Amino acid sequence: MIDAMVAMPLQSDMLPQGLDISFKALPALIVVGMMLTFMVAGFMYKVADTDNMWVAGRSIGNIENGMAIGANWMSAATYLGVAATVALSGVYGLAYVVGWTTGYFILLIFMAAQMRRFGKYTAPDFVGDRFNSDTARALAAITTFLIGFVYTLGQARGMGLVGMYILGDWSAITGGALSAYQTMMIIFMVITIGYLSLSGMLGATKNMVLQYIILIVAFLLGLVATGWTTGYTTVLPQLEYGMMIDSLSSEFSDPFVGGSYYLWVATCFSLVFGTCGLPHVLVRFYTVQNERIARWSCTWGLFFISLLYLSAPAFAAIGVSLYSDQIGAVYGDPGMSGAAADVLVVTAAQLADLPQWFVGFVAAGGIAAAIATTAGLFIAASSAISHDIYANIINEDATQRQQVLVGRLSIVAIGVLSIIFALDPQQPIAALVGFAFSLAAIVLFPMFFLGLWWENTNRPGALSGMVTGIIVWFIPMFNEGNFGLVNGGEGLGIEVISTWMPAIGSGLIGVPIVFAVTIIVSLITDEPPLETKQMVRQCHSPEPMPKDKTAADVVAERNGNAPADD
Amino acid sequence: MTADTNHDSEHDTREVATDGGMSDVEREKQVDYLDVEINLLKPATPFMRDHLRVIWLGFAIWALTTFGPITLTRIAPDVMTTQMPVIGFPLHYFLLAIVGPGAALILSVWYARKRDQIDDKYGIEQPTAAPEPTETTSDDATAADGGVSE
Repeated sequence: MIDAMVAMPLQSDMLPQGLDISFKALPALIVVGMMLTFMVAGFMYKVADTDNMWVAGRSIGNIENGMAIGANWMSAATYLGVAATVALSGVYGLAYVVGWTTGYFILLIFMAAQMRRFGKYTAPDFVGDRFNSDTARALAAITTFLIGFVYTLGQARGMGLVGMYILGDWSAITGGALSAYQTMMIIFMVITIGYLSLSGMLGATKNMVLQYIILIVAFLLGLVATGWTTGYTTVLPQLEYGMMIDSLSSEFSDPFVGGSYYLWVATCFSLVFGTCGLPHVLVRFYTVQNERIARWSCTWGLFFISLLYLSAPAFAAIGVSLYSDQIGAVYGDPGMSGAAADVLVVTAAQLADLPQWFVGFVAAGGIAAAIATTAGLFIAASSAISHDIYANIINEDATQRQQVLVGRLSIVAIGVLSIIFALDPQQPIAALVGFAFSLAAIVLFPMFFLGLWWENTNRPGALSGMVTGIIVWFIPMFNEGNFGLVNGGEGLGIEVISTWMPAIGSGLIGVPIVFAVTIIVSLITDEPPLETKQMVRQCHSPEPMPKDKTAADVVAERNGNAPADD
Repeated sequence: MTADTNHDSEHDTREVATDGGMSDVEREKQVDYLDVEINLLKPATPFMRDHLRVIWLGFAIWALTTFGPITLTRIAPDVMTTQMPVIGFPLHYFLLAIVGPGAALILSVWYARKRDQIDDKYGIEQPTAAPEPTETTSDDATAADGGVSE
């Protein structure tokens, strides 16, 4: 049982087998050109005031926002990690495909439009204003920062691994102090941080449309070309790979080989509700004019995302077949390493003997995915620090200039922190990102959901729920020793916890616990003030709201700006 | 809310008057949302009742398409792993990898359209202050869309 649960292979050798690691001029040119384009776009939309920095002046339209949602969403975990997990863990990997797409429907029906009506800048802002508590705001901001950090580890790992294909082994410039992977990861992270501190959300949004197009074209063309030249598939690999499943090892398609039924459901559950709690996803609904656009851009976002998610298993199937033909056995001992799986998309294109510039283009797509998401995460994390903690709690008279400065400094801080922890990541990309989803599902999702749908949720309820959630999330993390936190990575190894509450799927247990704590504490303490309740009600009114108003403004106007008695 | 005194005959036929001849639309106009309790299980207004009906129906179908296939595979592994004709997928693989995400996408389109229809019914128009930078899709919500099941 336990063996099956721990299907994700641990690995420390970060040199992916089968990948041609050397400097390649054309692919390097493609990546440099792509990064320069991002820089130019970022510079052209350079902003200095907070409204533009955080929500792009609320001027983004339907499809554009949908693409931005897609680019924001489709990180290295999507571009590289999903195919990797499907290839290595078989049917268990499909929990990622299902969880990371279907979550958008829940987001759409329960939260997108209501969030837009609430009309606040950031996720912690929502929590702080809804529950009238700076402590709640700070907890949400810290959680947002933590999510950004954990999530970014996966992106950094992806950038480092793919970077090696394009630029080769640069470890010599560090005098051998760092490995090839580590050097490459640091180079790309530094570029990302530099670009982000130049531009804000508007630049990032404009860039994201560009990034979405690059990454989806690279992925789909890469898949079709790889399938075509190897003769596995023709024009619609997303369906044709069904024919080749039979010829692959049984590990690829036998149910419950890579993970138990429970683990599958737990993972999928965590990913679905993590989607609904992710600050950098929710913030995209503030950037639209009205609720209708919020709804349709969520739907468009899911469409753009599905294009890739329906294709990733096909890439995995072709990749597994090519790898076992040309490199060695994929499953068993030794089998394919986690690092090799994480770049399988690139390796497959390379093994199919596609021209080098084309493989470089596919690799560049992976880097675009990692950068786009890291940008969104850093924006969310830095606005949590500068807007929610600095401007709201530490220095209430902060000027816009000060806020932007603090925002930029926190981008650098989270970047440095991620670089340090990404030097030796012990988990595959998808798992690293999965941990961030568990955290969002456990700590933030219940606050958003109850806050929007149950007006009696109050401050003590939210505070106790969030504190419980943070503790609950850390239990399996310590137990499994992720990030080398306990016993140098060994963890506590308590079997009951690793069986029923794996870190990757801790939301299945954690979310109900936090819901229960929040509801019970809210029931036994005083009801929230009428003004707060009215704010929640305003979020559900069908009456259109001007785009520059928040629910709180409407309530204040109605009450003649006087604080209401409760 | 727009003052719309002319009843849309298309809508009115659907509202069978059960409460002294007041239609949902008329009752809705008398509601001040700042005075009604928000309760996910007990909608207080006609609009919320219509909306929540769509939400819960969608949620139920979503739960089935998301967690149904893997559960069926657990219960009846032999049946679920049979190879499908023509496309060659094992059944469970097809349901998980393609039907699951596909259903969520179809449901999203269905919900967004339904919600537009509810908005139409209650005469709600979303403001668009500046000209749209990109094209807006599905301006009409007339088509009754039943594309829920796979």
